[in-house]
Amino acid sequence: MNTNRFWSSYRVRLPLSLSVSAILTAFCLALALGGQTLVNLRADQGRNASMLAHAWSEMLVQALRTEDVWLAYALLRGPEGAANFDAIWILVDVSGRIFASNRPRRYRLDQPLREALPWLEATPGQVETLEWVQGNQAEAQRLLRLPLFSDGTPVGELIALLSDTPYLPRFREILIGGILVTGAVLALLVPLGWLWGRRLVAPLIQLSQCMGRVGKEDPRRLHCTLPGDDSEIGQLGRQFAAMVAALAEQEALKERMLQTERLAAIGRVAAGVAHEVNNPLGGMLMAIDTYRQAQRPDARTARLLDLLERALSQIQGVVSALLVEARADPRPLTARDLDDVRTLAQPRLAKSGVRLIWHNAFDVATTLPAAPVRQLLLNLLLNAIEAARDGGVVQVRLLSKGDRLRLWVRNRGRPIPPDRLAQLFEPYPATPSARSGLGLWICYQIVSQLGGTIEVASKGELTTFHVSLPLDQSVGGEGP
Amino acid sequence: MTSDSTRPAWIHHLIDPSKMPLNRRRFIRSLLATATLGMARPLLGAPPIRFGITGVMLNDRLGFLNDWAAWLGARLGRPVVFVQRARYREILDLLLRTQLDLAWICGYPYVQHQDVLKLIAVPSFQGQPLYRAYVIAAAEDSVQSFEELAGRRFAWSDPDSNSGYLYPRSYLASLGYAPDRFFRRTFFTWGHRRSIIAVAEGLAEGAAVDSYVWETLARRDPALTGQTRIILRSPLFGFPPIVAAPNLPETDQTRLREILIGQAGDATGRALLAELNLDGFVTAEPALFADIAVMARQLGLGR
Repeated sequence: MNTNRFWSSYRVRLPLSLSVSAILTAFCLALALGGQTLVNLRADQGRNASMLAHAWSEMLVQALRTEDVWLAYALLRGPEGAANFDAIWILVDVSGRIFASNRPRRYRLDQPLREALPWLEATPGQVETLEWVQGNQAEAQRLLRLPLFSDGTPVGELIALLSDTPYLPRFREILIGGILVTGAVLALLVPLGWLWGRRLVAPLIQLSQCMGRVGKEDPRRLHCTLPGDDSEIGQLGRQFAAMVAALAEQEALKERMLQTERLAAIGRVAAGVAHEVNNPLGGMLMAIDTYRQAQRPDARTARLLDLLERALSQIQGVVSALLVEARADPRPLTARDLDDVRTLAQPRLAKSGVRLIWHNAFDVATTLPAAPVRQLLLNLLLNAIEAARDGGVVQVRLLSKGDRLRLWVRNRGRPIPPDRLAQLFEPYPATPSARSGLGLWICYQIVSQLGGTIEVASKGELTTFHVSLPLDQSVGGEGP
Repeated sequence: MTSDSTRPAWIHHLIDPSKMPLNRRRFIRSLLATATLGMARPLLGAPPIRFGITGVMLNDRLGFLNDWAAWLGARLGRPVVFVQRARYREILDLLLRTQLDLAWICGYPYVQHQDVLKLIAVPSFQGQPLYRAYVIAAAEDSVQSFEELAGRRFAWSDPDSNSGYLYPRSYLASLGYAPDRFFRRTFFTWGHRRSIIAVAEGLAEGAAVDSYVWETLARRDPALTGQTRIILRSPLFGFPPIVAAPNLPETDQTRLREILIGQAGDATGRALLAELNLDGFVTAEPALFADIAVMARQLGLGR
């Protein structure tokens, strides 16, 4: 399994195929070169032998005529002894006996040619011939025969046995040269191929690792380095990134819907409970009031009634806070209402030493109710001041864009932990570390009832609340 | 095949620089340059001394011969020119026709023309003016004696050579053989060195050669002589002498003799002698060649 993976990896296959093609090319080249060289060498050998035979013929005729063995031998022997010679030369006299040869031990003086070369046609022709030897003879592959004449009378024959054997060392040289060149090329190609393979495969591996994380991790937090070039792999990477983005979008949508549904459910429960609690509360407070007016209670009872009344009022306060009635106040919102919030927050700002950057560009008429929007902005601002801590900065931007009022409240300070973000808008969040309260719950209720959206983004120390509300409330239906 | 292959072997040896002992050559050149400084330069107009040489010595080294000619010329006050021919006979003919002044020939032609040729000097080899004939066979051949070469291929060096022709024939005759029918095939190589090559390379199965040439080659080219084996050593004979043409003036003869005899006493001369593998030149009487004369008479070839 592992070896299979090893051999199927492009990191191995690429240098391997490069090497194989290099070796194959070198082999074919060597074969072609070798073949061509052999053809050339054979042609050269035949031509040279013929030239040499003609150049010698006059001297050889003289040697035969005067029986000068040494003269013939010295010619055929060549400069440096017999061993270096390409061809075997045999001079035969008219009676068919060997007169001289450059292999004197093998082709002896006076030896009949019939005996020395039984396969050779005994009678010499009338003209020079260069032909392939019939059958497989150890001595030669080709045969040059030059009949020698003196004044038209045959005096003998010069025979050259030509073979490929002298070329073997040259072929060995070609072969060794080919091997060396191939080795050098391979020494370059293998690491190059390895590197290339790695470069080629690296983005695929990135992609594959990233794909492996899909389904196991939240696609929104799936940060992968993906190949970005224009190659097919780069395109694949971009397609994949787009797919992951779509997944993340879908995931975010699903989560927002879930959160919205949950908050709505909580809102319904809270409102139901509040109504149910509110009715008897009203009755109880009225009963206390009636009792006070009917008879003068003694001091002890009066204290008890006061205690009861304060406790019931507190319950009523909490319950009415849960029962956000965003449309209770019909007065429409103006830029002034928004600026009032700044004034209201002044004492807290002064106390905390936080600097406020206020930018109010809201200047259009709207049917948005003033009171809930003021409360919304105030809650968000106070939260931000609290989170910004000493010497921090809080930035508020208000503007209308299209048919919506947009407001941003941004502070630098403690980041909101990711696990808190999900339950940020729920009343009395379970996390003990969190600042408990109904502020953000109320904000959410107001925004929902006004048909808007509220989003929070926490990036490092920077936390931004962004609210978007439809300016025209007559069109917008009930909030979610 | 290279163009070299069109040349006979001996030409190749003549021009092959690797065969020359270059350092020694340079040494001799420098000696020559200093030795001839204070001497009379060879007179430009004077007729040269023509000095014929044969295969009794290793006559294939032109560079050495030029150095020796320069040395001799500087001593003599006349240019010296070495003359070579393919065969002993041609040098002898030139000498007898006085177209040469001087020649280094074999003792055999000398005894045939003793009456007209003037004996100038005889080289001294290994301490005496003597040498032998060697009968050689291929080193790998199992043949042990000259007689075993019967019916084989045999190389003579030259019909005018004592060691390479006269002595082996005389030896066979003394054993009762007819020298012309003893071997199946004989041929002439026209040189002792070539006879050695012929045996070494298997062209001939035996050859008779000059001991001086064989020993000198054994020092210079042991790979060649190593392929041959001496199967018969002859008795000692007079070393091939340097002789003068019949008409060479007495003064020239004396002068040449003095120069040659004195060569061993001169630094450059000694270096040249070392190249020749000789001790020097000595005077000799014609009686030194009496043994050769006897053999020549016995074979019916004497005059």
